[in-house]
Amino acid sequence: MVVTAVELNGVTRLFDGLPAVSQVTLRVATGEALWLCGSNGSGKSTLLRLVATALSPTFGSGSVLGFDLQRERDEIRGRLELLGHQARFYGELTAAENLRFVCDLHGLPRRGVGAALERVGLDEVAAVRVASFSKGMRQRLALARTLMRDPEVILLDEPYAGLDVEARVLVDGVMADAARRGRTVILASHEPPAAGSVDRRVFLHAGRLSTAEAASL
Amino acid sequence: MTGQGMGVVWAVAEKDLRVELRTRYALGAVLPFAATMLLAFGFALGPDRTLLQQTAPGLLWLAGLFAAVDLFHRSYQSEAEGGALDALLLAPVHKGAVYLGKALAAATQVLVLLVVTGLMVAVLFGLPLGRSPVLLALTLVLGVLGLSALGSLFGLLTVMGGRQAALPLLVLPLVTPVVIGAIRATSLLTAGASPGGAGVGAGPGASVGGWLGVLCAFDAAFLATGYLVYGHLIED
Repeated sequence: MVVTAVELNGVTRLFDGLPAVSQVTLRVATGEALWLCGSNGSGKSTLLRLVATALSPTFGSGSVLGFDLQRERDEIRGRLELLGHQARFYGELTAAENLRFVCDLHGLPRRGVGAALERVGLDEVAAVRVASFSKGMRQRLALARTLMRDPEVILLDEPYAGLDVEARVLVDGVMADAARRGRTVILASHEPPAAGSVDRRVFLHAGRLSTAEAASL
Repeated sequence: MTGQGMGVVWAVAEKDLRVELRTRYALGAVLPFAATMLLAFGFALGPDRTLLQQTAPGLLWLAGLFAAVDLFHRSYQSEAEGGALDALLLAPVHKGAVYLGKALAAATQVLVLLVVTGLMVAVLFGLPLGRSPVLLALTLVLGVLGLSALGSLFGLLTVMGGRQAALPLLVLPLVTPVVIGAIRATSLLTAGASPGGAGVGAGPGASVGGWLGVLCAFDAAFLATGYLVYGHLIED
């Protein structure tokens, strides 16, 4: 039996009366890797933020891992990681201090910080302030956060933007690792991911899902 | 509050204080503002020592208030940079614990600021701080707690929806009872009043204990309100 990890039913999100996402109905199975395609401004980021509970739907309903998007936000947040445009770190803190703060907020043991930094190649700059990091290094640090938390659902919003080849390989590695471990991944990107790293793709145009172009890969 | 909730309070406070230690914003920007304000008033009021001593408690708390509003704004700016506020929003914790952590960090910073400003007032205006040091310290702590409880709640608005102008508009009227209570208690204590007494020249019914009670009541009300409504403000 296929268990649904993410379910959206007619979800619409308005900003100042204008729809950023409109009437989206989508189901993503547990363990599935979905590629959400679309040009800039098509509503990909808004859709991911709705799934991550950073935004509330104006209309419609949905659930993640069986938890309601609006009534059980903290249950979802504890099981999901959004890797977005912004890395969500404090520039004045070091890489290790930022990850330790994540541990404190999510009730994780701090001992996983060193290993996570090592996996993304940032162990040598663990004591360096994030303000001096390049965009690529911040993205690596965000990947370290994802690895450390090991969430059941991973949302990646344009993860390749501004990354060098080595860092792109890291992103693909995280996706492959997630797939092996039965995690659910939604990748929003206008750039194609590595071959074989996603199971299905859907297109988003002007906030609407274009089902005619949906395809299994 | 659960053990995990207390852990979150401490983690948020520790993080904010660590950021402040690295940026030294309070020391570099806010403290000079308070010092300049005190010096300007000192020269404006002239050499009348009695007048200086009578106005000193009010000036101390006003300098602290204006400096604190700037600190509250700054505290949330570091959350907005790089989208760090999302890290707090998306953490699976009671947002009231996040609020208490930010209030604790803000209170620590404002307290340090007011202690330094108080020493400046003592030197410049001849304000006697040693008559009731314990009660004076209690007044400082209670006053700072009230300021920080409100500032940490409404400071959030400065990074949500670009409503920076709303911070002083919301904080200053609401915090007025705390400032009045703190000024009156400080005036009475520096004038040599006992805890239950009114001190020399004080009006009827105005005792140190009464004003400290006012401060306690407002602190409790502000902290409880902040704990309960912070989640509604930070959530979409």
